[in-house]
Amino acid sequence: MEASQGNHPNPNPNPNRNNSVASSVPVWPTIDGPLGLSEEESVGYARRFYKFGFALLPLLWAVNCFYFWPALRHSHSFPRIRPYVVGSAIGFAVFATLLSSWALTFAIGGERLFGPVWDQLVMYNLADRLGLTGWS
Amino acid sequence: MAQTQTQRPCSSVLDSLGEEIVRIVAPVSICMFLVVILVSILNTDSSLFVASMSMVTIAYNETTSDSTWDKFLGALLNSLAFVVLVTFATFVLVLLFYFRCTRFLKLYMAFSTFIVLLFLGGEVSIFLIQKFSTPIDCITFFLVLCNFAVVGVLTVFISKMAILVTQGYLVVVGILVAYSFTMLPEWTTWALLVAMALYDLAAVLLPIGPLRILVELAISRDEEIPALVYEARPVKHGSLDPREVAQRRLWRERRVQSLNANNSVLAHGPNNAESHSDSGANAGDNWDGANLVRENASLNSNLNADSSGGSYGYGNLVSVEEGWLRVQETDSDLSAPLMDRGMNVQLGRGEDTVSIDNLMLEGIGLASSGSIKLGLGDFIFYSVLVGRAAMYDYMTVYACYLAIIAGLGITLMLLAFYQKALPALPVSVGMGVLFYFLTRLLLEVFVVQCSLNLLLF
Repeated sequence: MEASQGNHPNPNPNPNRNNSVASSVPVWPTIDGPLGLSEEESVGYARRFYKFGFALLPLLWAVNCFYFWPALRHSHSFPRIRPYVVGSAIGFAVFATLLSSWALTFAIGGERLFGPVWDQLVMYNLADRLGLTGWS
Repeated sequence: MAQTQTQRPCSSVLDSLGEEIVRIVAPVSICMFLVVILVSILNTDSSLFVASMSMVTIAYNETTSDSTWDKFLGALLNSLAFVVLVTFATFVLVLLFYFRCTRFLKLYMAFSTFIVLLFLGGEVSIFLIQKFSTPIDCITFFLVLCNFAVVGVLTVFISKMAILVTQGYLVVVGILVAYSFTMLPEWTTWALLVAMALYDLAAVLLPIGPLRILVELAISRDEEIPALVYEARPVKHGSLDPREVAQRRLWRERRVQSLNANNSVLAHGPNNAESHSDSGANAGDNWDGANLVRENASLNSNLNADSSGGSYGYGNLVSVEEGWLRVQETDSDLSAPLMDRGMNVQLGRGEDTVSIDNLMLEGIGLASSGSIKLGLGDFIFYSVLVGRAAMYDYMTVYACYLAIIAGLGITLMLLAFYQKALPALPVSVGMGVLFYFLTRLLLEVFVVQCSLNLLLF
């Protein structure tokens, strides 16, 4: 964990390597720091979270971004983990925009926009019809 | 048994002590607070949910027209039946653990978490939506709910999830189950709380108690019990290299030499370590520094086999630097005194009975990383007590909250003093119930009269 000094004049020092002493580069890839995963384990986790997120699980992408926040925040850190985390962030952002735009359209548009379908789609009517809260 | 060395200056003891207590009291308080809010907002009719709790009201269904004596008797019968069910479920759990069906237990745990998050979470969300008439459509709702439930199951299954996410989901599960328990009839709830406190006391402390057997099994095998347990984040002291050291607590074990490196009884008591018999999938509550895994991998066997304390592990443990100990590999350490208990909760309509065995855990212990562990069952019953108090008045809520926190503090002190797994229910629930009835019968009259006469507001 030592940066190259005097004896080895490095014409192109790369301070952004994982183990460099540059203060901005984090040592631990997870947000839990030393309590979390090591870098090798993190690659597996990040990859699995990214792939499972495609099963309509944007929350998993969000958890992925949260968990590997140091990798996301510091560019050029953890080169193996970062692609998955960035992919998850982009996926979550896209999904969240789509979902929230649909939800807001539904909520604000209301019956004027949708007509009678609105009453069929809105949750509290559906719950009443299906008796989801009946406990009977 | 234990020798405590007084090296630590007073301020750091208080810091660490206070920090650790706060880290366990905070989620308990959040859980209770949210249950109180839910109970206050959703003033649903109690009778609606009696059917859902038919497992609990199996002996007697309380109706408002019965006489006091009938209600009392019925409540006793209900709670007795419930305790019998829970005992039976716990013995089944012990049996399964004895035959090393850890995989099955883990799957069952994940399954029950999924059921709670999906169905109970969905019910509560639908109530809230109906109450506030939120114009949310069903597609969004189901998408968000399924996401929530699936990610919750993953946090239970995966051992090394983000600590905050895992803790959050455990608290949510506690809230949901506690809210459904507050739907029980009133007398039954109080009788149930008292009965569970007594059961907890018996199950953990008596030699034939199922929980004690479970803990001793886990200790003798150096395995971890697969169950839902809230583990507080370990408290860090000073600015040491995180890769190198972490705070450890030393359990005192009959077989091993006791090594205590700290003075404070509560903060740095015995060391408690756990071992992974399987691969990481079962290490729900442990964390290893990765480097240390490699370093100490070869030394694991020494730690257990040698009971005279001459192995490398102890040498390391002794080297203390201001109370810091070198991190020991969590493999094959001493096991955690976890309380485990199954509990049966019936959900949904009568037809789909899901017995959430192994879902709730009760009791308090110390984790391998030195943080405090509190079973989810404790969260649930504390919140049920406060939730039921909220159904009467907020004055009882304050009184019961203070009583429970005081009880929890007392339990933590006893934990540090006796340094073995303890039941967390009896003291808190006992004080909570006492304070509830005292407040309701005596304090309220006093306060109301004072207010009427403009003495207090």
